[in-house]
Amino acid sequence: MADKLRTQQQLESMQNKFIGTGHADTTRHEWTSNIARDSYSSYQGHVPLLHYMSIGMGMPMEKVRAQCMEKMVLPVGPAPAVEE
Amino acid sequence: MANIQSTQAFYSLTLEAPSAPTAAVICNAIPGLKASDQQIFEARGQRIYLHRIIEENDRTVIKLQTIAEQDVFGIVRGVAAFRIPGTTMDQLVVSSDSGRVVLLNYDPERNSFKKVHQETFGKSGIRRTVPGQYLASDPRGRCFMLASTEKNKVVYIVNRNSEGGILISSPHEANQWASLTFATCAVDTGWEHPIFAALEVDYTDSDSDPSGDAYAAREKQLVYYTVDLGLNHVVKSWSDTVDYTANMIFGVPGGSDGPSGVLVCCEDRIYYRHDKNNPLCIAIPRRTGPTEDKERKRQIVAGCLHKARGTFFFLLQTEDGDVFKLTMEIQEGTSQPLEMTLKYYETYPVARQIVLSKKGYLYVSAENGNNKLYHIDDLAERPEVEPHNTFSSDGVSSDPQEPITPTYFQPRGLKYTTLAVDSPSSHPLMRTKVDNLTGEDAPQIYAIQGTGNKSVFKTIRHGLDVQEVISSSLGQIPYDNLWSLKHRSSDETHSYLLMSSTYADKTTILSIGDEVETLEDSSFLSNRATVTAQQMGHATLVQVHARGVHSILENGAINEWPSPSHRTIVAASANERQLLLGLSSSELAFFFMGDDGVLNQLEDMPEMSGKVTALAVGRTPRGQQQAKYAVVGCDDCTIRVLSIELDSPLEARSVQALSAVPTSLEVVEMIDPSSKTTVTYVHIGLQSGLYLRAVIDEVTGELGEVRTKFLGAKPTRLFSVSVNEQDSVLACSSRPWLGYNHPQTSLYTLAPLVTGQLEAASNFKSDELDCLCAISDGNLMIFSVPSIEGRLSSSTVDLKYTPRSMSRNPWFPVWYVAQADGNTLSEATKQSLLSSKPSEREEATELEQHIGLSRATGHWASCIQAIDPITKQAVTATIELGDNEAALCCSVVAFESKDWEVYLAVGTGQHLTPGSGKQSSGFVHIYKLLEDGQQMELLHKTPFDFPIYALMAFQGRLAIGVGADVFIYDLGLKKLLRKARGAAVPNQVVSLDHQGHRIICGDVSESLTYLVYKPKHNRLIPFVDDTIQRWTTSMTMLDYETCAGGDKFGNLWVVRCPEQASKESDEDGVGGYIVNERSYLGGAPYRLELRSHFFTNDIPMSLQRTNLVAGGQELLFWSGLQGTMGIFIPFLSREDVDFFSQLEQQLRTEAPPLAGRDHLMYRGYYVPVKGVIDGDLCEQFLNLTYDKKQQIAAECDRSVKEIERKVVEMRTRVAF
Repeated sequence: MADKLRTQQQLESMQNKFIGTGHADTTRHEWTSNIARDSYSSYQGHVPLLHYMSIGMGMPMEKVRAQCMEKMVLPVGPAPAVEE
Repeated sequence: MANIQSTQAFYSLTLEAPSAPTAAVICNAIPGLKASDQQIFEARGQRIYLHRIIEENDRTVIKLQTIAEQDVFGIVRGVAAFRIPGTTMDQLVVSSDSGRVVLLNYDPERNSFKKVHQETFGKSGIRRTVPGQYLASDPRGRCFMLASTEKNKVVYIVNRNSEGGILISSPHEANQWASLTFATCAVDTGWEHPIFAALEVDYTDSDSDPSGDAYAAREKQLVYYTVDLGLNHVVKSWSDTVDYTANMIFGVPGGSDGPSGVLVCCEDRIYYRHDKNNPLCIAIPRRTGPTEDKERKRQIVAGCLHKARGTFFFLLQTEDGDVFKLTMEIQEGTSQPLEMTLKYYETYPVARQIVLSKKGYLYVSAENGNNKLYHIDDLAERPEVEPHNTFSSDGVSSDPQEPITPTYFQPRGLKYTTLAVDSPSSHPLMRTKVDNLTGEDAPQIYAIQGTGNKSVFKTIRHGLDVQEVISSSLGQIPYDNLWSLKHRSSDETHSYLLMSSTYADKTTILSIGDEVETLEDSSFLSNRATVTAQQMGHATLVQVHARGVHSILENGAINEWPSPSHRTIVAASANERQLLLGLSSSELAFFFMGDDGVLNQLEDMPEMSGKVTALAVGRTPRGQQQAKYAVVGCDDCTIRVLSIELDSPLEARSVQALSAVPTSLEVVEMIDPSSKTTVTYVHIGLQSGLYLRAVIDEVTGELGEVRTKFLGAKPTRLFSVSVNEQDSVLACSSRPWLGYNHPQTSLYTLAPLVTGQLEAASNFKSDELDCLCAISDGNLMIFSVPSIEGRLSSSTVDLKYTPRSMSRNPWFPVWYVAQADGNTLSEATKQSLLSSKPSEREEATELEQHIGLSRATGHWASCIQAIDPITKQAVTATIELGDNEAALCCSVVAFESKDWEVYLAVGTGQHLTPGSGKQSSGFVHIYKLLEDGQQMELLHKTPFDFPIYALMAFQGRLAIGVGADVFIYDLGLKKLLRKARGAAVPNQVVSLDHQGHRIICGDVSESLTYLVYKPKHNRLIPFVDDTIQRWTTSMTMLDYETCAGGDKFGNLWVVRCPEQASKESDEDGVGGYIVNERSYLGGAPYRLELRSHFFTNDIPMSLQRTNLVAGGQELLFWSGLQGTMGIFIPFLSREDVDFFSQLEQQLRTEAPPLAGRDHLMYRGYYVPVKGVIDGDLCEQFLNLTYDKKQQIAAECDRSVKEIERKVVEMRTRVAF
């Protein structure tokens, strides 16, 4: 029993430390949001990729970056309603 | 034999480093310079640079010189510089993907960056919660903050100790769960506790609310984080809601310099916010003009602060490139700002960073195109100038909810600044193609580059540009050699120019003065060909001809030494004191000049083993009477080193066998970069066009460290010249090459001169000119080499819009370029909006060249141009596209059905909205090529359901990638006629290549698929695809089985088809095995094998198998979006692979990358490195200290010299 408790505590500390650490009831929305946020953050960090997108979209890099940042707020739309 | 790797390995080298800047900052990093003499610390890709602005006293010549450059093998994300109070120099901070922050200093002795501190704060890689995206440093130099896009922030406090050492604190974290950081900056608080400001959005509510109301009500906060220096922690001290569109913040000077606080830049407006002061707001002015959308809101994309003696201002740049000067009026007595004023300053290219130097220069590190340095003539301080372009915050509500009245300004050309330096850059490099259109011995690189109306078509050559001063015809006589002589050894300038023709047996003597004119009555012999001429002793002029030595003494007396009977002089060389002759009888004659100016002959005339073909004596070393060694080349393919000192005259010291007959020799003393001592080099030119360089051992006279390079098809002739105040060698083969020590890297560099073939060359020094003169194609040419720093020279042709693709006419030197710009007004719409007055139209067109194309959301401007880069060096035809079409790709196709007549096919997209995921359609246009390919005429357009991203000529027909399918079309009268169709890839075909019946398709996100075309059955059958999703940008076939490609994440990879699949696909008929093979896991029956993989930190846009130098081995050339040009050299032997991987391993541990990134992890960013050795890392060996070199050499069981030679030769053998 103690083992189980420790595992639980360890998992919780992981979840606190690292965003996106899953749990038994991770929903599809949580998971996809997390992936999408990772991606949008990565686009901003990799300058060549941001440059590539900015040329394709005909916009300055700072504008594309701000858009990526904004997309991170709600990347895959609102969470589905939970049925009681 | 455990260590057998069966597959091919590559050696990766960067030819041209990326030029696209990531970040830049002004700093005082070089000790001992004035405070106003600031430098620019810049990051580009994986390199960091320190530039210095160098100006002549009268500001006529301004240069942007790169002082130091270092490859850090990590993705540099931000740079900062700050001065710790009480120290004299700035600390440079680099944030990268290493999860570490490094503090650097510039080390002037080694001319490199020195690591002061390296602190680890997180995991490596670019992750959303690992700080590094944002970097801000306290203006008073007490601390700096790194922030990630989400949650984490870390602050380091820096200090100095009493010994002047720099101390860094442990990290102080300021983490906020579920909060996104949009921007950070440091708030200037004077000497109070430092504060960092951040723009943050909390997404907890939006994430959990299914209705979407919380998302609609989300707020952006301006948060202050105070660093409590006494308690050593960071606290969130203040936060307030700001306009939701805010994207950037700038700290306003505080303390005694200003009101403190921040500027919050939002869409359409700029706010001033501070916890202690009232807010202010001002609208960002919009452009006026007939083609401008009045409703379009601008954002600030870059900016910088200038602070000087109680005043300050900001320069803020909008997305159009317009720069505004923002000033603040502050209430006397308090620090409450009363008013903000925006004044339109200038329009510059959109910058990643604007940097202002105290010397009065503005550096624009441009997002696209050349980085520019402007000289500030005027700070726009007078309010009466351009009142219509000055705006005030008076009466503007600072409530974000209140609508703002837009203001408008009139853009114009440069007014307050002048362009000082336009430093050539190559980003964005859209496509390159290596081709030889001019018939030179080395191919040229053709590139399309740039965005908008600043795009260019570039012809790039390896070589140094020459500036021709004079070129005058020499008439009928084929001169083949020339010498420029001083009259007296103490003279500064040359007085005589001798030109000799062996064919005509004649010498022409010119005098150099104010003019260069023929000297009729000179004491030189003009009816003989000259073998060599030299000013010797104090003031004796010596002319050697076939029959003797003719010397003219200072008093005008003439001494003649006739050659022994039945013998002629075939070769001669002299320095200030010594003269060595080679006779036709293989004998050598040696002379020494006494102080009386008379040549004394040595009686002994030793005989050589073969006919003397070339000889050279070294220049007299400074402060000495005589040179130590002479080198003699004979027709038995040997060279001998002889001692020519008077106590051991003409004693043989060493022999070196060569691969061909030596035609020319030069002995030159040069500085050895590693030991900084003078070393005597012998340069050898061979009959076969080879060039060799060897070192003569000072004591024994042995030859060693031989380096070889093939220069061209003609015998190599060498001339010792002085360029940029250093002794260099000019080697003339089918083109001239200059050998010199590079001023930055101090490595010996051999670069061709971009000019015609030179017969002979010499220095030319008159009162006005200090340059070179040469005989070139029947002309006497006087020229200079302006810069020996760059290695590439280029010529450009301007384009109209962002180029997307290019294709070459197979018969004529004409290129076709498809160009398209998104969110830009098309030419037709623009013309309808412009006024009908021709003068105004002209004005508008001229202004557009400066301020850029007019923007319009959802509109596309596109055209196709034919370019002749060789003869006309201009655009020969332009066809504008209408209907909101955008040209995306083009290819020249010869149709078999039209008797192999050549047409241009252009694939377009209509109503494209990239990034939105909306489906759009496309067309393929076919153009007839007229007038030697210089004109185009539309034949017809065929509509498609998808935009066309790839097309190519395939067996006399046209293969088109339409969505996920490949179609083969033939040319009809009104439309293209579909001949075959095959489902190819899962998503969208973006690139095509073929060999034989095999077609390779690159998918936008799922790597490559190999197809085979079965002409008998007219079927396209996919048979191999890949296991990894590679977001292919470009690819090329290396051979029938192998493909090399690049993806959007910056990887380069080589994949190969399994043997079984390849065999099956080529079986005859369609009844064979391959069609009946079962699909494997929903894809093709077979999978590709990965052979090589390498991370480049640039998006490869073009790949090509080609050779780059005359006679060089074939290699894989690639070019990337950020301006990188690189090569993959296939290894020829197993031993080399072993050696270089050992060296690489040693370098990784002994000289770890500067920014703290693990090299192996970096090169294997997405997929572990495979089959590639990083040549850039291996070349770092050359820059190490001697101790480190020796240590590594010992580990590798080689000598330092041997490793150096191997590393250098790896590059020079095949590239530049």
